[in-house]
Amino acid sequence: MEKKMKFSPFQVDADKIPPLTAEDFAPALEGEKAAMVEMHKSVSYWCDAWRRFRANTVSMAALAIFVLCLLFAFVGPTLIPYSYGEQYRASQKLAPFAYSKGEEKIRLLEGASDGFYATALQPGSITALSKGDYFITYKGQTYAFTLEKAVEKSVLMLYAGAEEPLRLVKESDIGSDGSIKSYQAVAFTGTAAEGASQIKLVRRVFPHVFGTDSAGRDIMARTMYGTRVSIIIGVVAALIVLVIGSIYGAISGLSGGVVDFVMMRIVELIYSVPEVLIVLLLQVVLKDPLQTWFDTSPSAFAHAMSDLGAGIVSIFITFALLYWVTMARIVRGQVLQLKKQEYVTAATALGASNGRIIRRHLLPNCVGQLVITTCLQIPSAIFLESFLSFLGLGVSAPMASLGSLCSDALETISLYPYRLVFPGIILTVVVLTLNLVGDGLRDALDPRLKK
Amino acid sequence: MAGYIGKRIVVAFLTLLLIMCITFLLMNAVPGSPFLTEKSTPEMIARANAKYGLDKPLYVQLFNYIKSYLRGDLGTSLKMQEGTSVSKIIFHQGKFTLSLKLGVCALALAVIIGIPLGCVAAYNRGKWIDGVLRVLTTVGVAVPTFVLATLLLVTFAVKLQWLPTLSGSLPDAKSYVMPVISLSFYYTCYVAKLTRTSMLDAINQDYIRTARAKGVKTRALILKHALRNSLIPVITYLGPVMAGIITGSFVVESTFSVPGLGKYYVQSVLNRDYPVIMATTVVLSALVILMNLVVDIAYKIVDPRITLTDKEE
Repeated sequence: MEKKMKFSPFQVDADKIPPLTAEDFAPALEGEKAAMVEMHKSVSYWCDAWRRFRANTVSMAALAIFVLCLLFAFVGPTLIPYSYGEQYRASQKLAPFAYSKGEEKIRLLEGASDGFYATALQPGSITALSKGDYFITYKGQTYAFTLEKAVEKSVLMLYAGAEEPLRLVKESDIGSDGSIKSYQAVAFTGTAAEGASQIKLVRRVFPHVFGTDSAGRDIMARTMYGTRVSIIIGVVAALIVLVIGSIYGAISGLSGGVVDFVMMRIVELIYSVPEVLIVLLLQVVLKDPLQTWFDTSPSAFAHAMSDLGAGIVSIFITFALLYWVTMARIVRGQVLQLKKQEYVTAATALGASNGRIIRRHLLPNCVGQLVITTCLQIPSAIFLESFLSFLGLGVSAPMASLGSLCSDALETISLYPYRLVFPGIILTVVVLTLNLVGDGLRDALDPRLKK
Repeated sequence: MAGYIGKRIVVAFLTLLLIMCITFLLMNAVPGSPFLTEKSTPEMIARANAKYGLDKPLYVQLFNYIKSYLRGDLGTSLKMQEGTSVSKIIFHQGKFTLSLKLGVCALALAVIIGIPLGCVAAYNRGKWIDGVLRVLTTVGVAVPTFVLATLLLVTFAVKLQWLPTLSGSLPDAKSYVMPVISLSFYYTCYVAKLTRTSMLDAINQDYIRTARAKGVKTRALILKHALRNSLIPVITYLGPVMAGIITGSFVVESTFSVPGLGKYYVQSVLNRDYPVIMATTVVLSALVILMNLVVDIAYKIVDPRITLTDKEE
């Protein structure tokens, strides 16, 4: 038998193929059939996006850090005994982790005396206790007492067991060695009366982690509060942009023709206006009218707005006036693309109204783009707000935002640079993580865009 | 081409007109007057209003503004430097030149440093240098200008005393360093990021493979073939950079005490010096619009694939 010619190294030798038998054509068993059927559970859009997002290490890390920032801003203030607006007596210009003189004295007691301190009676606090009923919960036991007359100065509350009376000690009555010169005794009255106010326990003097400012306010409490204000401003501004931009863009893209042309020329005009010049002007212009509106209008809306302050409200107005154009352009582009799809034609043929087409078909399909753009709008709003507050517009005292904190730090920058560093770092971290989360969302929600 | 440019110039003028109207409306929406001080009586305010034509109806005032702007007359300051013509304040007292110097230096720095950094990162894709640059640029676009400016000030002027604290009217090269760096840092990082992305895009194109197969050296490949095409997105970004640098100059000029236009604008708004606000807004807006126009035209010259008739989709 002559040798068969081989054309390529991959050619299969026909002699080596085992011959087929009847057994090879037996029907498949049930188990084999099941293995062949590739049925996956249907995965929703959001599950799929979340799976892709989770696989992105950088974005997940950024999300985790951002959640930490959120905790810092929203949960943090409840964990520390200081508040953002209160000026603590004799605690001005403290370095990070430093204590004021009064606090130092009380710290001496911490080891020596088996007792506890109560907030509202924080060292350095100017909060006094008025006449009335109070109760303390300690180790599951409730101890109530009545104050016969108001305590004017800041006091310390020492507890030495259920049988002993409660001792109210004035800060000035603590010696430099931690001895107590005199105190006022208050007897426990048993169960707490109706309407008695609770006094929270503090076992240790809490350090001013970021130090205090020149007015004796705790910088960490202010930074927490400022972070909260900045994040809220960013989110609300982004939502305003989302609502206005997507409605405008959807209407423009859907109408087409002259309406689209006119609406897009308006967008182009607003787009080429250097917005920061107008923003600065708006900030100054809106302040007084808004204030008079707050003061005169009886509506609940005006009242809610006045809590925010004229500066923040005018930032929102600015966003509503100028910053929605990018969003409108993106939504219009998406709508133009989706409008040509068959299912929209089908819906139109079936007599669906424009509103229904926008709601049911167009918006759900460009939701990915909307989420991405909104997410990336938040850091830019935070940037703008901090820029305005830094220039002395925007948020006004005693409110604080990260920008105004940086601006406050400027006066004493050569002596206390850390006052700028803490809010500055947090501002950077918030913006950075939001940018990274936005990028991750882009990759996860719109994989076509991924490079 | 000429038709396109003509059309764009008309749109630019319309935009400026719109900006003038908006500014005018905003200025007049504020209750209060530039002449309102503790000592002024209603008669004095009325007299001053009559002198500067502020008693006329609003549309007449607006019309007068537009008329005099078309003649090149920017009006006279009402408050900050009473009686001085605004064009003199802006152009002859060095304010405009100072801001322009800072802006041009910052723009140049962003381009000169940003583009090579982007190229280096793209060329060394996946290596440590790319990683370092990516971290640096990502963090760089998240640092606010004012934080950077102040930290530079504290470190190099206050602690190390290498550079002057007050840059003033930029007398020597040293005084430029910090304002220019803090003004351009964000944009340098952004340009580097942008260049890296578009460079990577360009490197994957067919013509690059062809050039490589033809035996073009890597250096020439990057510089001649890839860079040209990857510059297009960078050029389009220069318009917004200009607007951003003007914004940044508000902060940088007040941090480093540079008596430029940005600082003056903020002061004029706070002082309600109407003609100065109007003139500064118009001059700065014109600058931004002009820059956008130049960028758009340059962009279409660089990339002939882009059609000049700006039809939408």
